[in-house]
Amino acid sequence: MIIFQLLFFLFSFFAIGTVIKRRKDTLLSNNGTLFWMLFWILADVVVFMPNSTTVFANALGIGRGADVIIYIALAIIFFVLFRLHVKLHMIEQHITRIVRDDAIGTMQDTESQTKK
Amino acid sequence: MFIAIVPAYNEASTVGAVVKSLLPHVDRVLVVDDGSTDQTSSFAKEAGAFVIRHGLNRGQGAALETGHVYARQIGAEYVLHFDADGQFSVDDIAPSLSALQEANADVLFGSRYKTRMAKARVPWTKRYILRPLAQIVDRLFGAVKLSDAHNGFRMFTKKALDTISISHDGMAHASEIPALVKKHGLLYIEVPVSVTYHEYGQRMVSGIVVVKDLLLGRFSR
Repeated sequence: MIIFQLLFFLFSFFAIGTVIKRRKDTLLSNNGTLFWMLFWILADVVVFMPNSTTVFANALGIGRGADVIIYIALAIIFFVLFRLHVKLHMIEQHITRIVRDDAIGTMQDTESQTKK
Repeated sequence: MFIAIVPAYNEASTVGAVVKSLLPHVDRVLVVDDGSTDQTSSFAKEAGAFVIRHGLNRGQGAALETGHVYARQIGAEYVLHFDADGQFSVDDIAPSLSALQEANADVLFGSRYKTRMAKARVPWTKRYILRPLAQIVDRLFGAVKLSDAHNGFRMFTKKALDTISISHDGMAHASEIPALVKKHGLLYIEVPVSVTYHEYGQRMVSGIVVVKDLLLGRFSR
């Protein structure tokens, strides 16, 4: 076992522990827990058996296993980035709604106090 | 009631004069102070405007929609959008209102390109680069065909006010409004209005932000 494999295994062990903790704290859904568990187990498989990705790559018509990993990682990163952008946009809209309600409420309070 | 909505962000130097010039032409002037850090609110109040103040800066679209919410609450019959930097002329208000009523339309869009002096007044980069690009983007996002969609001078009837709800906080509202007019089948007209340039206004970077906001808006509702 080379040093990288050992370090990666320890890290994935820690990551899976975090996933389980998040699930217990009900911060992660069943699907989310399943996805991240599978992700880290699969990552361990790839790190311990690097040739396994080559088999998969060849099946897809890609030469090297490392290339498949890079393509998939890029696709996932872009997808997550897009989802984060959309989420941020929605949060911005919620902030605006709160700011608007507060602004109109304050104005109405001031108006009613002036009338008194 | 005819209400002018003036979105303002750090416009202390001009907002007072704009409010005073508007008062003889409308029943009420509402300044929506979009989280200014200067004295915009107090100067607007002193000049005779009703003021709603955002605690945080949320963008021009958000400020206009705040004005819409208030206008709906007080049962306004006509709403005017008017910039706080003094680039519009109050002389365009009465003819525009008459044109809107005569055409029995729901929305009026001001256009700086419909005036005879358009060539002299509008910077060439706006006329030949930004405007064609903006028109392409607007059409892609389902807007009605306008010569100057990003002109801040607009009038809404009560029907349009009740139908159109601006969801884009930033400058993308200028593309969203014509798209909503088309979506809801509202009647619209475009009239010439004069624009005096104090600053350049929207630049290319703002245009990219508008496209980004329009794209994200498609996925967040």
